[in-house]
This record gives sequence, C-alpha cells and structure tokens, in this order.
Amino acid sequence: MRRMSNIDILPMACVGLILVLAMMVIAPMVMTHTQTPVEVPRAHTAETKTEENLTITFNAGGSLFVNDKEIALEQLTETILYELEKDSFQLVVIRADKDVLHVDVMEILAKVKSCGAKRIACATKKIKGE
Amino acid sequence: MKRRRIKFSIQPEGLILNSLVDIALALVIGFIVAIPLFFESGIFVNAPGVAKAEASEVSEIKVNIHLRDDGTILLNEETVTYEQLTELLPELLARSLGRKVIVSTDAEVRYERVIQILDLAKQHGAGELALLREKR
Repeated sequence: MRRMSNIDILPMACVGLILVLAMMVIAPMVMTHTQTPVEVPRAHTAETKTEENLTITFNAGGSLFVNDKEIALEQLTETILYELEKDSFQLVVIRADKDVLHVDVMEILAKVKSCGAKRIACATKKIKGE
Repeated sequence: MKRRRIKFSIQPEGLILNSLVDIALALVIGFIVAIPLFFESGIFVNAPGVAKAEASEVSEIKVNIHLRDDGTILLNEETVTYEQLTELLPELLARSLGRKVIVSTDAEVRYERVIQILDLAKQHGAGELALLREKR
C-alpha cells in the first residue's frame, strides 16, 4: 500500500504572505489619490482610515487638484457635486500644503461644505518616531 | 555472492522554505509598523460657519480658539501661550458637554499652525473640531 505523502503547504504560505505584503502596499495607493506631491502637516492624531475618497489637493504654488487631476478653482464646485452624486457619504480629504494660508484652505472647505459633503477630513502625516 | 547494499542519502524534497517564511513574516510585521508613517491619515473637521456666517444665540461651545497673525493664541477671548493652552484645554473640554472646539484665524495664519492646534485639541479629548473663516 502506498503511503500518502504530506502536502507541502510552505510554498503556498509563502506566496500568500507575499500577496498580503503586496496588497498592503498597493491598496492605499489605489484607494487614495495622493500622487500629487504635497507636504502635508504632521500630526499625532490619525482619525481617518484608508478608504475610497475624494481628494482635493492644494499645493504651495496655489494649484488645485481633484483626485490628482488639476482643475481651476471655479470648476471645484461642479467637480465636487459630480463626485458626490455617486456617494454623498464619501469622505472628502483636503490635502493642503503646510505652508499655504489657512484662509485659502477655508475657501475650499466652504465650497466642499456647500456642496453637501458630510464627511470632511484634513490630511496629515504621522509624526516620525511614534 | 554477496549482495552489495546501496546506501541512499535522504534528500529533502523541494526547497526548505522555513527561513523564507520567517523573513516574509518579519517583513509583514515591519510593514504593519511602518505603513502609517508612509501613508497619510487625517483629522475630521467640520465647518459650521463657512456656509452660513451666522451663529445661534444659544451656544454650547465652550472652547473657542483664535489664532492671530502675530502668533498669539486667544482661548475664549483671553491671550494664552501654547503651553497654557495645553494645560487649559483638558480642563475646558472636561466641562464641555459637546466637547466641541472651534478654531478661527486671522488672514495670514499658515495652515500648519491650525492643524497643530486641531491636533492638540484632539489629543486632549475634543469630540468635534470646527473651523470658522473669521473670528466673530
């Protein structure tokens, strides 16, 4: 009678782990729109989790991006309304450069709020060494 | 005739992947620890005063912070230092029912300073953060 040899699960476990690693790295990149380089302020608080969101980026040069596509300030309301039509509970993340004036960010925030956004967050980066 | 015995050495089948799995696990743990540093997070904010620049007569708000252009901080209309604000915020928030913090600024205040204050408020137990366009 032939003995049944054990199934070697190590390669499978290894591939599984590598897949987990790849997912961990790729998922936040795909779900969030953070390709536009911006020096966001650093903070200890980290409330938001990685989820599909509408990202408004405002860089130090005064350029405005919605989901990494550059738009004019006049087009912002229209763009947000179009995006929020799909999901009104969508998280709106404002990625503003740390050196911009707060009043300029407030102007964007006012427009976002007037479009009916229910969840708004300011993007921050975790302070190193924590 | 004497039979010659052939000795077979036991060869492992396939590769030994124990160490590889160990490394992969260590990498996973490393990534779990390091990822929050690389990817952005955020602080939830509200903007009650930007759409309609009106305030209700009766207000539960007990923590009003105003940042001035010259770097001074006003906490409920009184000038405080950053250190004093750090001490006073937990006391005020403990008394506040809604634990709501309203932050307003002058025109030339940098965004980073506002986030610093919002972060401080969150660290000391603020429930809701609201941003006002201008001080009332």
